[in-house]
Amino acid sequence: MKNLLRLHTSLKEEIEIALNAQVKMEAEASHKYQAMASWLEQNGYEHSANYLYRQADEERAHSLKIFRYINEMGGSAITPAVGEVTLDFTSFRSVFEAALQSEIAVTHAINRIVGKCRQVDDYATESFMMWFVNEQREEERNARRALELCDLIEETGTGKYTLDKEIAKISAEEE
Amino acid sequence: MHAQSYQTELYKNERGVTWQCDLTNTIVIDFEPFRIRLRLPDFNTFRRKVNGIDIRAMLFDLSDAADYQVLEAPKAQSAYRLTLCELIQLRDLLNGTRFALELSSLLHETLGEIVITD
Ligand SMILES: [Fe+2]
Repeated sequence: MKNLLRLHTSLKEEIEIALNAQVKMEAEASHKYQAMASWLEQNGYEHSANYLYRQADEERAHSLKIFRYINEMGGSAITPAVGEVTLDFTSFRSVFEAALQSEIAVTHAINRIVGKCRQVDDYATESFMMWFVNEQREEERNARRALELCDLIEETGTGKYTLDKEIAKISAEEE
Repeated sequence: MHAQSYQTELYKNERGVTWQCDLTNTIVIDFEPFRIRLRLPDFNTFRRKVNGIDIRAMLFDLSDAADYQVLEAPKAQSAYRLTLCELIQLRDLLNGTRFALELSSLLHETLGEIVITD
């Protein structure tokens, strides 16, 4: 009797399920960033809106990266259903607080997948996920830096304008 | 055990039976009124679909339409009307089959890739 499962995929079912859940989470993160960017745009923060629109694109790329990995490994990637995102922010700062919260949740999820990989000896997926571990370190740092700038620059008068421009520089700083 | 040695029974319940066919690397599902042969990815999709049907909602829905579930069997190009009871049996058959596949895979890994006979 052949090992039919192994012939088709090296992904254990629980890993495949966890990866598909992550595909969905990254897609949701993309939607959240888009909603945040929209609020910023509507409130005149053009530069930081652009920054978050780029973040939305990045999250979408993360989702796709995992999606294609699942298929590459012989699993079945599931196109996620992502619901409507309605985010209403009370201030510029609250946008970036939400961004940090979201990134922290993603980091936890990524770490849980790595833990699962070790449990079932799936070192290929662990190695694939390490890219995301490093990515999250950066994402969290950027989100914290944005909040730091909010503390440094007062959100009144021309401060708003400076803040908008400074935050847009964050992603340029990382390169 | 099936008569032909390249077919191994995976799981059986009152309603149906499944085999693994080593000649074609497929899973054969015999479940009245259909008999289908699926590749593993199609089997997985089918099982997901059947597991995704909300049986609780069917139970509490009093309309006549909720007494049956129309299910398209993949590759068979036909749809079947399954009663709630049949649906539960099909679900059991598919999940039992998946368990048998996993068990077989685990044995292969534990014992090394030696030939496992029945
Ligand atoms: Fe991400």
